[in-house]
Amino acid sequence: MHDITMELSSSEQPPYVPKPHQWPALKEAVHHSQQLFRQVLNSMSEPGTFAEVDLAPLPKDVAMSPAAWAVLLVLCDLDTRVWIADELNRDGLAEAIAFHTGARIVSRAEEADFALVVPSTCQAMPRFSEGSDIYPDRSTTLIVVLASLAEGRSDASRRGNTCWQLSGPGILNQRVLELDDTAEALMQRLALNRASFPLGLDTILTSGSSLTAIPRSTRIQKPLEDASPTPFTHPAKERV
Amino acid sequence: MTLRVDDQGGLAYSGYNFAYLDEQTKRMIRRALLKAVAIPGYQVPFGGREMPMPYGWGTGGMQLTASILGADDVLKVIDQGADDTTNAVSIRTFFERVAGVETTTSTAAASVIQTRHRIPELPLSRHQILVFQVPIPEPLRFIEPSEEETRVMHALEEYGVMHVKLYEDIARHGHIATTYAYPVKVDERYVMDPSPIPKFDNPKLDMNEALMLFGAGREKRLYAIPPYTQVKSLDFEDHPFEIQSWDEACALCGASDSYLDEVITDDQGGRMFVCSDTDYCQQCRGEVA
Repeated sequence: MHDITMELSSSEQPPYVPKPHQWPALKEAVHHSQQLFRQVLNSMSEPGTFAEVDLAPLPKDVAMSPAAWAVLLVLCDLDTRVWIADELNRDGLAEAIAFHTGARIVSRAEEADFALVVPSTCQAMPRFSEGSDIYPDRSTTLIVVLASLAEGRSDASRRGNTCWQLSGPGILNQRVLELDDTAEALMQRLALNRASFPLGLDTILTSGSSLTAIPRSTRIQKPLEDASPTPFTHPAKERV
Repeated sequence: MTLRVDDQGGLAYSGYNFAYLDEQTKRMIRRALLKAVAIPGYQVPFGGREMPMPYGWGTGGMQLTASILGADDVLKVIDQGADDTTNAVSIRTFFERVAGVETTTSTAAASVIQTRHRIPELPLSRHQILVFQVPIPEPLRFIEPSEEETRVMHALEEYGVMHVKLYEDIARHGHIATTYAYPVKVDERYVMDPSPIPKFDNPKLDMNEALMLFGAGREKRLYAIPPYTQVKSLDFEDHPFEIQSWDEACALCGASDSYLDEVITDDQGGRMFVCSDTDYCQQCRGEVA
């Protein structure tokens, strides 16, 4: 018995999992969370504007972005339920969320107040809550961890990126967001928010320490050069 | 609770959390605020707390202000446009004491403005936040007393009764007689009560550069209008929306473009019209606050 355990530990190095306390906390609970909240509020009020979060570095090689972690620290507590995509559910993240915020981790997508997702999660989007007609606010807020995130630039397509044109409340004329092509399914899904308004998913996009937001009120279009309507059916309608 | 002298020589209470509310309450209100911003004009229920003042004195606005306020914010509080009336003075002093923030009477210098029943005359700019105190957040309440029913009416966009109410005004008075808390439609979806601001201020709601947050403490509802959002006052093609106008100008500063209060000066029928926005009036007179 003793020999077997010795053999296992020597032949295969167990993957390094950071302990919950190795994930950074806020500098202090009051003012730091206020500053970060105002950045999130600002991005949600003016969709597509960017903020850089100021947070101690995350443990080495984790899949999470510092900005997404900061959003969790600011908004989650005992009253919130968090759903985590498989791709991110490593590095002791679930334990770290419970340790730092007290939030409950849920496995059913429709129960989530916040959902931590990556672009590939959106290929077959779990059935997050979009709220009800009477209470549209009772919906899931997506926190997306992206590889890249930038304000739109004209040479986007040359670099294999796609520009998305945002308009609606919070945007004077239009704002352009540049995302890599893995975000296509996500953005196509968010573009459907408009049809189901006031139901919908509000989204905080993060990459590294930067974040921006796309609330459900935002109209999303691909810029004119490839304005051909992409056939995409609403997951809810697909079931019927 | 101990009273101490802060850096600026003012009195501040230690022993309270920054800005009075505890952090969990702030987080709850912050989550509700993000949803309110995402669904412009929709009333989000929140767990309203008891504040150290009675309902009706701006407890809703104060809870929102407390949840967004930071140590580097500059706070202005107005009541019917004035910085120097009871409600404005006590709320401003409250936040000086429990948050130690800098306060101002200058509209341009403020980053957060809490207001009762006015929007400042000076156009607001980006990154300013205007927090309204709201007595009754539901514009349909006087027509339909049931909250369950009004929720369904909002869900179904069943706003015909609102137009009937305005039509009854026209039938009775020959014009739309509603002068304050004039209903608006936000981003072509939700009909919203802009709080009891005079309808003179309604055009300022449309495409404003500032974020506008509305808090009703007794009713425990909050809602928002993000910057650059279409806000349209309800009206009819043959009775378009109109704002108040006056034959006179402000008796103090001479402004003819501001909202005027009528002030009785004696018991002989003497009266004068003065700007309701005291900061605007002082700026016009060159008496920079």
